[in-house]
Amino acid sequence: MTLVGAREGAMSGIRRAVAAAMARDLPAFVLPGPSVARAMGLDLSGSHLRLVGTPRHANLLIVVGPLPPGLRDAAAVTYAQIPRPRAILALGAGDIAPLPDADVSAPLTQAGLHSGLADLRRVIAAGAFRADSGEFNAPALEVRVEYTCPMHPEIVRDAPGDCPKCGMTLVPRETASDGHGGHGGHDMPPEDRSNPADHAHAGHAEDAGGAGAYTCPMHPEVVSDAPGKCPKCGMFLVKAEEGESHGHGHGHGGHGHEHGSEAHGAHGHGDHGGHGKQQDHSGHDGHDGHAGHGGHSEAAIDGIEPHFMSMVEMTEGQPRSSDGLQMDWIEVPFGPFFPGLPAGLRLTLTLDGDTVAGSEVRSLVGRAELVDGPQMRVADFVERLAAMMPLSPVAYRTLACAAIEEAASVDPGHDARRGRAAAVERERIASHLNWLAEFGLQSGFLWLAARAGALQLAVQGADVAGIAAQAGAIRRLTRRVQAAPLMRMRLRRIARIGKDTPASGPVDRARGGGSDARTGDPTLKDLGFETRVRNGGDALARLRLRCDEIAQSLDVIAAAGRIAVPQVPDVDRVSGEGAARIETPRGAAQLRVKLTDGRVVEADLDTPSDVNIALVETVTAQQELGDALAAVASLDLSPWEVRG
Amino acid sequence: MSILVVLLSLAAGAYALAVIERWAVHGHLSLTGPAWAALALLGRESLLARKSDRLFFELGPVLLLVAGLMAVAVIPLAPGLIITDLATGALFLNAALAYVLVALIMAGWGPNGAYAMIAGWRFLGQFIAYAMLIVMPITAVAMRAESLSTVEIVASQEQLWNVLYQPMGFILFVVAAMGLAWLPPLDLPDATGELAGGVEAEYTGVRLAVLRLARMVIILALAGATVTFYLGGWLGPWLPPWAWSAIKILVVAAAMLSVGRYMPRIREARYLALSWKLGISLALANIFVVGVIALVVPI
Repeated sequence: MTLVGAREGAMSGIRRAVAAAMARDLPAFVLPGPSVARAMGLDLSGSHLRLVGTPRHANLLIVVGPLPPGLRDAAAVTYAQIPRPRAILALGAGDIAPLPDADVSAPLTQAGLHSGLADLRRVIAAGAFRADSGEFNAPALEVRVEYTCPMHPEIVRDAPGDCPKCGMTLVPRETASDGHGGHGGHDMPPEDRSNPADHAHAGHAEDAGGAGAYTCPMHPEVVSDAPGKCPKCGMFLVKAEEGESHGHGHGHGGHGHEHGSEAHGAHGHGDHGGHGKQQDHSGHDGHDGHAGHGGHSEAAIDGIEPHFMSMVEMTEGQPRSSDGLQMDWIEVPFGPFFPGLPAGLRLTLTLDGDTVAGSEVRSLVGRAELVDGPQMRVADFVERLAAMMPLSPVAYRTLACAAIEEAASVDPGHDARRGRAAAVERERIASHLNWLAEFGLQSGFLWLAARAGALQLAVQGADVAGIAAQAGAIRRLTRRVQAAPLMRMRLRRIARIGKDTPASGPVDRARGGGSDARTGDPTLKDLGFETRVRNGGDALARLRLRCDEIAQSLDVIAAAGRIAVPQVPDVDRVSGEGAARIETPRGAAQLRVKLTDGRVVEADLDTPSDVNIALVETVTAQQELGDALAAVASLDLSPWEVRG
Repeated sequence: MSILVVLLSLAAGAYALAVIERWAVHGHLSLTGPAWAALALLGRESLLARKSDRLFFELGPVLLLVAGLMAVAVIPLAPGLIITDLATGALFLNAALAYVLVALIMAGWGPNGAYAMIAGWRFLGQFIAYAMLIVMPITAVAMRAESLSTVEIVASQEQLWNVLYQPMGFILFVVAAMGLAWLPPLDLPDATGELAGGVEAEYTGVRLAVLRLARMVIILALAGATVTFYLGGWLGPWLPPWAWSAIKILVVAAAMLSVGRYMPRIREARYLALSWKLGISLALANIFVVGVIALVVPI
């Protein structure tokens, strides 16, 4: 048995003892994330795993369920960040390329997890070290070297040579293979760095040598192609190196987990757009614009202490953030596998000191087309929609069934409707508990993370009696969370959302809004449902509202007396159009379907996360980093729901 | 001889803390767990980030360990069982722990990663919050003992432990100590959910093992300081003095490690505001009250 990610070295003597220790102590990083694993019914808290928050501290990557294509590149980067020896355990994952083949694969069940871990422990104990360990390069991190003329940036060649225009020797330059990937060396072990990343920078220095290579440390606007003195202050001009700022342009894109790898050299100062696109030109055009920032970075100017100049001088004329302090701006990627943010969400924050100056958010999961192919069988359609939404499959299954029944004019009957309502409410409890567990993880409230996670797993597939048995514990949890010390201080006035901003679900109801697809539903009214609303519009109000809703859902389930996940409606060669609207745990989702001859030919879905993801920019603007992350978490976004 | 005994008990204490921390963070209690984890860490790759500041990166964890060891040197475990009984012990402790800040900023800056760097600077902010609240309660303790020697300070509590004599100082000192050791809910520099490990994020293998060990030593030193200053050090009936020291230090350390499990992390801005507006006022009041008591009631 061998491990794909073994560490180099013969398996002998003390290494055997170390390998045995590694097999016992398994710090694991979970993809897409612990919350998704729990929603799929997997209990990771047992099995003597230690779940860690960064791949750097893991030696095991657990892939839970099918990995959406949009997350696979990032998954490979995450794997590359794990120090060797490293292993992959795939649970019902299917195709995970560009990750290497899993060391152990098992079905996505609790039993599968246990047997998989047992197998994996044997593999690690036997093969943690190997004389000829292979290398792994994440495609998103690979760099390609191309050659360009220092004078004619439009000349780009794959091989060294002379410029056809001026005859100068072409200089090497590194670019990301996928167009925006970034510098790889940082994320890989030193011995992986066989690529010519290092001399690429030398190339840049030469590159800059062509024109305007010397600048005044005090007056960045002074640029000269020869050494000399500054006409303004008489100081010696120093060599400006392009490497750092160039590095910044590439440094951030495409990274999976964490590393704002070029952080120290990253000086955005408002012209980030320009930086980001720099890969298309040689650096000449950008040069003048960047010269002024060069003074910040450690290696930027030869012979001058990096912090020789005062901050006042350096930040003169730069944009100022709300706290009035001027600092270096760095662009830091969070996600898509960041602990404490929804798995699959990529949040890029431009930080001014520790204040968020700008943010960009997108879902890397990217929901695919609902109908793939010309037409789908109704059963396939329902299963597909449910599988697309791992965080709330029952709600979307119910939605699909309801829309199809509407199109086919089928009535499921009174009992079935009650059962379904209870099933959706059960999922709401589980989903809100999952959110509480995630919030606990993000805010370091570990008791909450453990307790809410355990209760979620207990509730998820339970029948009415099972839920009644947990009801007391769940109610106690919701009371205890709200009364916990520091809780009010942590969330009050964070992520305030006004009345006019479009929002859906608990986010809307926590600011006094009344939008709830359940309002007016006769079945739910029968079961004693009333729309719960909180005022405040901040993260604290959202927490309290979710706790209220958990309590309400417990009552509704008790009143319904039965839980029935809907069966695929039996529609035989019907044609028609139908729409349904349902209150998922995150807000109202609406589905329109068109049936032709009993097949689904068209479908259109609106989800709450589509609406709420637009709030991210508002709630993070000018917030301290910790508050900004708490703000994003308070929206309870599902990247699976966001349109691709 | 006593140096060896203190160092051995320090090693045992650090291991015990690792067991407790594992329980507090991951929820399973395992006596052998940390041993396996440590051995496994030694076998893992110790990566060096590209373009790292090598000097700072390597020195950060070592300096942290040195700072912790120097602080431990003035903690008495029993009469005569102390590495060095300095006349200015209480002040020396404070001076040694000042290097924690330097070490953390170095460790944050060194690896050239955004998370670690933000974490390092966060700790600089945190320093402003805890620093005064370490020194000012110590001042009140020294006032009662009329000495800065840690041995004298323990001896001064023969009649009444300082935790009862100056309870306000005790609370302030413990909270500040937790800030200094960046323990939850004051764990801003390694906040897992916010910075994915922060200062520790880029360390792997042996370097991470040193960093973790250093952290344990710092926590032990602070628990030891709390016991020395407020809980009567080795004083106690029936058991031998060293046993009392060991029990008290472990209980205090366990409490400091586990309390954060039951509440969310504090917001940085609130932490600073509370420390200055409330904490320093209370610490001044504490010094005043202790001064009055020391003059009026001689115990």
